[in-house]
Amino acid sequence: MALRAVWLIRHEPGTPLGGTVKFSRRYPTVEKRAKVFNGMNYVPVPEDGPFLKALLFQLRLLDDDKDFVESRDSCSNINKTSIYGLSVGGEDLWPVIAFLRNDMIYASVPLVEQALSPRPPLISISGVSQGLELLLGVHDFLYSSQKNDTDLHSRLSQLPDLLLQACPLGTLLDANLQNSLNSLNFVSVTQPQKQPAWKVGTYKGKAQISISITENVKSMQYGKQDIADTWQVVGTVACKCDLEGVMPNVTISLNLPTNGSPLQDIIVHPCVTSLDSAILTSSSIDTVDDSAFSGPYKFPFTPPLESFNLCHYTSQVPVPPILGSYHMKEDGAQLKITVNLKLHESVRNNFEICEAHIPFYNRGPITHLEYKVSFGQLEVFREKSLLVWIIGQKFPKSMEISLSGTLTFRVQGHNRQPFDHICIGSTAYVKLNFRIADYTLTGCYADQHSVQVFASGKPKISAYRKLISSDYYIWNSKASAPVTYASLLP
Amino acid sequence: MGPLSREAWAQRLGSFRASPSAFLAGAEGEDLGHDLLSDLRSEKLSELIKVSLLTLSLEYSDKLWPDALAAEAAATSLLDTLVLLPSKPSALRRLLLLAATTALVSGGALGPTSEASSRLLPLLLGLASGQDMGRSFGTTSEQRHLQATACECLGELERCKPGLLAGALGVLRSLLGQKGPIQPVSLLLALVLHNTLVVQSRFGAGLQGLLVAKDSSPGSCPWDWTLAEEWDDHLKPQAHGWPTAGEEERDFPILDPNPEDTRELKAAVAQLLDTSYLLTPVAQAQLVWLLGWALQGLRGQPPVLFKPQLVRLLGTAQLTLLHSVLSLKAAFGEALFTAQDEALLLRRLTLVAQHPALPSPTHLFYLHCILSFPENCPLGPEGEEAAPLLLGPQLRRGLMPSLLHDPMVLLARLHLLCLLCADDEEEEKGQLQGPQWFLQELLAGLQQRAAVDGGPRALATLCFQASYLVTSCLTRQPTVQTSLVHGLAQLYRARPSLAPHFVDLLDEVSPELREPLRKVLLREVVARPGKNEALRWHLQMLAKVAEGATQSAILGFLQAAAIHCTDWGLHQALLRVCRALLRTGGGEGLADLLQELARQLENADGRDHARLYYVLLSHLSSSKLGMALGPSLAAPALASSLMAENQGFASALMVQETSAPIQLSVGPQKAKGPLPVLHLQVQALDTPVYSLELRFRVEGQLYEPVEAVHIPSVRPGQPAHPLHLPLQPRSPAPARLHVRALYTTPAGLTCHAHLPPLSVNFADLFLPFPQLPKGSELCFFDELWNSCLPKGVESRVWCPLGPQGLEALVSQHLEPFVVVAQPPTTYLIAVRLPPHSMLLLRLEKAQVHGVPVALRTDDWAVLPLVGDYLRGLAAH
Repeated sequence: MALRAVWLIRHEPGTPLGGTVKFSRRYPTVEKRAKVFNGMNYVPVPEDGPFLKALLFQLRLLDDDKDFVESRDSCSNINKTSIYGLSVGGEDLWPVIAFLRNDMIYASVPLVEQALSPRPPLISISGVSQGLELLLGVHDFLYSSQKNDTDLHSRLSQLPDLLLQACPLGTLLDANLQNSLNSLNFVSVTQPQKQPAWKVGTYKGKAQISISITENVKSMQYGKQDIADTWQVVGTVACKCDLEGVMPNVTISLNLPTNGSPLQDIIVHPCVTSLDSAILTSSSIDTVDDSAFSGPYKFPFTPPLESFNLCHYTSQVPVPPILGSYHMKEDGAQLKITVNLKLHESVRNNFEICEAHIPFYNRGPITHLEYKVSFGQLEVFREKSLLVWIIGQKFPKSMEISLSGTLTFRVQGHNRQPFDHICIGSTAYVKLNFRIADYTLTGCYADQHSVQVFASGKPKISAYRKLISSDYYIWNSKASAPVTYASLLP
Repeated sequence: MGPLSREAWAQRLGSFRASPSAFLAGAEGEDLGHDLLSDLRSEKLSELIKVSLLTLSLEYSDKLWPDALAAEAAATSLLDTLVLLPSKPSALRRLLLLAATTALVSGGALGPTSEASSRLLPLLLGLASGQDMGRSFGTTSEQRHLQATACECLGELERCKPGLLAGALGVLRSLLGQKGPIQPVSLLLALVLHNTLVVQSRFGAGLQGLLVAKDSSPGSCPWDWTLAEEWDDHLKPQAHGWPTAGEEERDFPILDPNPEDTRELKAAVAQLLDTSYLLTPVAQAQLVWLLGWALQGLRGQPPVLFKPQLVRLLGTAQLTLLHSVLSLKAAFGEALFTAQDEALLLRRLTLVAQHPALPSPTHLFYLHCILSFPENCPLGPEGEEAAPLLLGPQLRRGLMPSLLHDPMVLLARLHLLCLLCADDEEEEKGQLQGPQWFLQELLAGLQQRAAVDGGPRALATLCFQASYLVTSCLTRQPTVQTSLVHGLAQLYRARPSLAPHFVDLLDEVSPELREPLRKVLLREVVARPGKNEALRWHLQMLAKVAEGATQSAILGFLQAAAIHCTDWGLHQALLRVCRALLRTGGGEGLADLLQELARQLENADGRDHARLYYVLLSHLSSSKLGMALGPSLAAPALASSLMAENQGFASALMVQETSAPIQLSVGPQKAKGPLPVLHLQVQALDTPVYSLELRFRVEGQLYEPVEAVHIPSVRPGQPAHPLHLPLQPRSPAPARLHVRALYTTPAGLTCHAHLPPLSVNFADLFLPFPQLPKGSELCFFDELWNSCLPKGVESRVWCPLGPQGLEALVSQHLEPFVVVAQPPTTYLIAVRLPPHSMLLLRLEKAQVHGVPVALRTDDWAVLPLVGDYLRGLAAH
């Protein structure tokens, strides 16, 4: 249940070492226990240099991808989790938790309180989830609400102090480093009994609650008889509660209009104190019918000081907001494309932004283009082999728009940039980017009047909604496309 | 020396961190620990620098003070510094407590005899229980802060010496109810409770009222080294093993506490769990693990106490929380989770394993948890990854792999898909778009991506890893295998540069796939002769897949290829294929090709190799060739093919020394003929031996060299093979023959063994004089007798007689040499001793225990031998 070491490494492709250790921390008392528990198979935590090298090799982040290396590329060397065995100085250091996100590699070695040979299953090692949680916490701390490199740098420089708070002796006390930062700042305040450990200090000031619901809609549209189109809404409810008192209680209800789509797959923040069983069991696994629970979804909780995600959910809306079709055909040296888009009438026709990206991979730069759009403008990025169809704030009255065109490309030998490993041959897609403010596809909203607060002072409550597209793909119907299993089901 | 400046320390710490081992080995290394401790007390250094010094000592105390003595001194110094701090608030106090704890534990100094330990423990306990420790520990509010740190330090001491704080259970429990930060006290109490229960149960003791709060009156000691020491002696690596519900073989007995203890325990656990929502998620998870483990070993402690927490925990997707629920599931099984609960847990697990709002490392871990799910009624073998029974078709739908997933997610989900396909072998048949069909589509997609020319290696690796996963899970599904082989063949056609991956796959997969894949790939290669780059890969591929049976096509390919082989690398690749062919059969055409190559190739090395192969082909039988060129058993891990080749030759063409495969024994001697002949018997021990050649060496060159003997074959179980070994003594003396056997094993290897030496006795050299005409014997003997002197010697010897008597003795040993016999009074015996000597014996009338013998010989050197011989006769 403890960690032997933690690293934060910046991945720097192209440099001689491939990366730099930005931060590392070792725990000698845990190491002492590792020696006892792991016995013959104990491998000491290496120094930063050798660790960096071994880790980058294992994660394929060194620039030596050219040749087949058996120890890494062998077909039997399969990694199915973010946990690796690293070969350091001829010995096998395991388990090493590691993952790459936003150019940062997060790594840790948890203590295994058992013998290491044979390797115990990961599920039996409590340190694995603790280590992963810490690393994800570090990532959240570095990147949540971080705006630029200076910001990142200052957050990086805070890490040593924060880890001294959150994990002083190798046993993790808190994975939320923002909370640890608060605890450093609230150092002089005496803590009352019953003060939650995840909320150090109390808020002083005007009471206010902000609730913002962001829905991301994903879609895969194929335009084929035998493959079903798929779409899904993923919602996040973020809250910031500025309330006085040690343990203010808040209950937020999410409501749906009468024809709204039920929320499913709900996961809540640990500060939520109780959950209705209907919320716990409503799942996208089951087929939705009229009997499905459709709210109100009540979440009683004691808020932490910082902004947090109260819950995440998914939902299966009856139709995708924009239905599209994409035909692309090669005609000799030319490529003919047609794109049709139709906004569903139920969707609010008022976009912050709406555009369709039409990339052409593995073909070389665009040399010639003739096109016709029924609406909006087309921007052409010849060198990037990309068309961007800017639709603007509104669809026309008909709700339908189209684009057709003919393109040719300059084939420069083998250099058919940009490269993509999915869009091979005529496999191609149009990706939609759109954003609608004050709107959710499910209809989900937080009723300001139903928010219950048990704290001194009546808070000002503000609620926001937003719909954003993410991974919204319309595939060329004239070629094969990557299908998900769900698309195949009748 | 005064304290270092801020900059100097910053630089020093920087270079230490860059490589601690290098720094410590350097000139400054030795003083670092000492300087650090003394500069902590310097008033010139800022608190900021001191914080960084202490942080360093927290992280590297095992390097700075590696032995108990140094650690003890360091901890003492740190504690002194702590006491000497001015009373104003300081960030150093917390760090000093942590550093002293770390130094004691990591240096192995913690113990009853350590002065620093006995200072630190009461200090920590005092701080933890909220006592006012005096002004040197800062203000009251600062001391309250240190309370948390003290709990954390105590926790670390308890973790390293389980049982140490068992006596403090009551104090800690009372703390939980009153004052003090909730999380540190809860965690410490849970830990000590867990350790106490585990330690106590190991020694068969109960809780003995430990949980009942006692006043910590002066004189009572809340820490207990004896328990900790006992634990040390018994500390087993499995101390915190993954608990399994209903596990029969627990390595410690189940504890059966008395009713009062039970009540107190229940109350304490309930209290801890009730306030657990005040803890951070990671701390809650630790609490649940600890209490789950602790209660598992108790009789009559139903785990229902945990139940109220479960719904709350299941609602989150927090890794640590769900993991701790799974630990409860594993520990208590049905006792805590009904079938419905189990289904709900699996549902939530399936949900979080794919929830779009969660990051991929989280998905992957939950996928692992699904495959290792602790089921109430597991069916499969323990410890193997398997799809849980309750994971029905609905649940699986969302866990299917897709090409859009990143490699690890794809592989994890593919593994699940394969396990499901393997289970559904029967029911899926006939489904047009069932999982199997989907699997094949997916593989086709992976192959298509891997086939992109110039694509990243990771994509190729992914394709081959997926193929390997599929074949290892679905060995009994011919349709999948067939389509996989077909797809791989297409992939090779499109991108021969993936040859190393193919070779690796052929090495790894089971024979069910290997053979068909090998054949298809061979066809692919032979059908597509190429130049340059492609040719290089084709040759690499051929070296793996070529076999004798389809030689003509391969030879055709090679002949065509030879023209394009313009550099050393290609020559080597070409020769490697030839070598593979030699190994598996050779043949007519191959000899021609090799000869051609031996003439034609541009570089000498290549020509030499070709010639060598040709020579081998024309001189060795095919089985021997196989052995010679096969993978060397002597050095299986050698990376260099040249070395491996050498090793192969070495083992096959050089003579191997082995233990003796045959037994050689000396049979009864038959004294006749012009020379003494050793009668030997040869028997094979375990395996047949062919072309056996026995070589002899006479010790001391007493005889002329003995010629080697050849035996075509000796097989075990057959009658011993007789062998007559003529000896040509240079002097009439016994000798030892050293024997070596050279032979061929049934596998065609030539071996060599030393056999135990053979002894030639003095009597083995005896030869009779020619047969004499009747009546002239006595006269002949007398002539010989007289001729011995004066050159020779005469002697008299007492020859002891055994119970059998003189007659028997003579007939047994000396029969062939008797010239005149007048039993029972006189025997006249004449023995020829090659090369030129003789021995004459007159055996006179036997007396009670022996017979007097008069002897003459013309070679005085044999006299001692004769004496020994005669004296030893009776014993034989």
